[in-house]
Amino acid sequence: MLKQILALTWKDLKIFFKDLGGVAVIFLQPFMFIVVMSYALSGLFEVGEDQPIQLLAVNQDQGTQAAAVLRQLDEMEAFQVETTWEGQPLTREMAEKLIVDGKRNLALVFPPDFSAVLEQDPAAEERQTTKILVIVDPATSSQFVEPILGTLQGLLERTTYTAMMPKGIDYFFERLAPQTPPEQREEFKAQAQEAMSGGLLGGQEPLVTLERTVPAGMQVEEYPDTFQQNVPGYTIYGIFWIVSLLAGSVLQEKREGTFRRLLVAPMSRTVMLAGKLLPYYLINLLQLAIMLGASSLLFGMSLGHSPAGLVAVSLAAAATATGLGVLVAGLARTEAQVGGLTVLVLLTFSALGGCFVPRFIMPAWLRTAGLVTPHAWALDAYQDLLVRGYGLLDVLPKVGVLAAFAGLFFGIGVWRFRFE
Amino acid sequence: MPSSMIEINRLVKKYGDRVAVRGVSFSVLEGEIFGLLGPNGAGKTTTLSILATLLAPDEGQVTIAGHDLPRDADRVKPLIGFVPQELALYATLSAWDNLAFFGRIYGLRGPALRERIAAVLDLVGLSERAGDDVQTFSGGMKRRLNIAAGLIHQPRILFLDEPTVGVDPQSRNFIFEHVERLKAEGMTILYTTHYMEEAERLCDRVAIMDEGHILALDTPKGLIGLLGGGVIYVGLPGDALETLLPAIRALSHVLTASAQDGQLKIETSDARPALLELIELCNARDVPILSLEVLEPNLESVFLHLTGKRLRD
Repeated sequence: MLKQILALTWKDLKIFFKDLGGVAVIFLQPFMFIVVMSYALSGLFEVGEDQPIQLLAVNQDQGTQAAAVLRQLDEMEAFQVETTWEGQPLTREMAEKLIVDGKRNLALVFPPDFSAVLEQDPAAEERQTTKILVIVDPATSSQFVEPILGTLQGLLERTTYTAMMPKGIDYFFERLAPQTPPEQREEFKAQAQEAMSGGLLGGQEPLVTLERTVPAGMQVEEYPDTFQQNVPGYTIYGIFWIVSLLAGSVLQEKREGTFRRLLVAPMSRTVMLAGKLLPYYLINLLQLAIMLGASSLLFGMSLGHSPAGLVAVSLAAAATATGLGVLVAGLARTEAQVGGLTVLVLLTFSALGGCFVPRFIMPAWLRTAGLVTPHAWALDAYQDLLVRGYGLLDVLPKVGVLAAFAGLFFGIGVWRFRFE
Repeated sequence: MPSSMIEINRLVKKYGDRVAVRGVSFSVLEGEIFGLLGPNGAGKTTTLSILATLLAPDEGQVTIAGHDLPRDADRVKPLIGFVPQELALYATLSAWDNLAFFGRIYGLRGPALRERIAAVLDLVGLSERAGDDVQTFSGGMKRRLNIAAGLIHQPRILFLDEPTVGVDPQSRNFIFEHVERLKAEGMTILYTTHYMEEAERLCDRVAIMDEGHILALDTPKGLIGLLGGGVIYVGLPGDALETLLPAIRALSHVLTASAQDGQLKIETSDARPALLELIELCNARDVPILSLEVLEPNLESVFLHLTGKRLRD
């Protein structure tokens, strides 16, 4: 019995290792996944060590307080404050462009009166306040933005305290002169208590507030929720699994002989390939419609302002996924290779393209590497529409890139396809 | 005189360094069942694949119904039906859906399609199971549906590649009857098999193939006639091979006799009386018979006679 088991084992191992393509994929696939996901997630796990969060800072302050806040931020290991870009002091317009271009996600704009507000006379009749603009790419997740804002808020309170306290104490001593009547002393005591209980801002409106906004040109009415973040990513991840179905179907037809029967029929190879592609393309479109529609109906997710843009991106994304199916069908020689190749390509592309982990937390080189995947372009195009409020014309360049991917995949796939 | 439907002249097909078909020539007449008989690897399926437009020949000329291949493949395709060796069907679709799909591929639509589906289902005896998924069919039923799919568009020429492999005897007979009905309707059929009894029963003419060559081509009767009344292989002690040879040649039912690989090969006009005469002669000369084999006159024996190998080797 043992000999039979060994014989069976030997036979299957021999079959497995004779399929070198399948072997390569089996071993390469987990390795690629480990490498890509480890680098992709390094932004989450290594914050504060060697992967600081990059913050753009536009300092318009005419005093020294904003510089002090930025210096303290920069001294924190978690942040790297950038006040210049390519040797030029940052302006608001430059910062907005860097965000629009996807090079950075967040910029702080300190107003010209920042120091003046913090250093104002407590006795002044009219209390001055100001705002720091926080310009955020709407596609950036709240989990990323909120901790930054919290840190900044804490720093501002400390700065406010440092700037205001000496003047405040002087002010109170002057007001608490010995000749003050008892009832007035009680009144000032109450005011001081109130001030301390509400923080040094005296329970009033804070001197400095944070105002969150988006770069000019983006139309965001609401900040993205978890569905707007996750639905496009996982939808794109999902539609590319059509690759497995399509390539598997071709290999199955070849194995079972129906492919030969089709080759004998009076039908051109182009028609034959188109007939194999179309059903999977339609399945992809249906997938997209269901995923986006269900997310909108069940979770109230906004679909943006441009139905035409959604249709264009969906048509292009589905074409890319189907084209990749043809490529895998053209390259794979066995069904084992289809399975392995699909998992390898899809997981790598999905991870690199930001479907699992937002690309903005990835290291810069990995963000750039992600652009070789159609997933990154499709995801970005969907987020332009769903989150950034863009329209059809804005996403057309990305639709063009997706169409180019589809053409490339389809072309190589047809070139390598074996009609036999 | 029927016209020629298929003409093959000095056909050669190579797979890399391996030559699968080596200068094969034959023609198939209209309304004829032509058999390609040979063991696995003989080159039958490659030849059939070239005729079915699946492969292009490396050398030689192929003409079907007056059209050259592969140049006129588009004109040939509607004329031919192809039944591959595999069960080339969609297992999760019903018999009806399979036939409807293949019919539509050949341009059939509407009532014409429905009529053809009903006709071929009736022909292969599967009308009652039309709505059932193919995966629920027995092996024999799948084979019959496989043939039906090749007939859906009423081809003039049908290529059947080993259509009875893995089929039980009852289904095999059923398939034979279908093929005979198709011939009666005037269809030209090219039939590959390695079962000699199929070739003997069905084919008007048979080409025996081995290692890419055609070794013999004739009617089954003509091929069997190559063996006369049968062949006897008899093993005798070394010196008796030569001393007994003149006497054996003189026996009344012996046509030829020769020493071959340590035994005598005796071609007879009738094997049974020749065998009795041989045994009597050996007894009379006190020569022991070391081994004895009698090849009955059939295609299996003809193949063995021509190649020294059995069909199922």
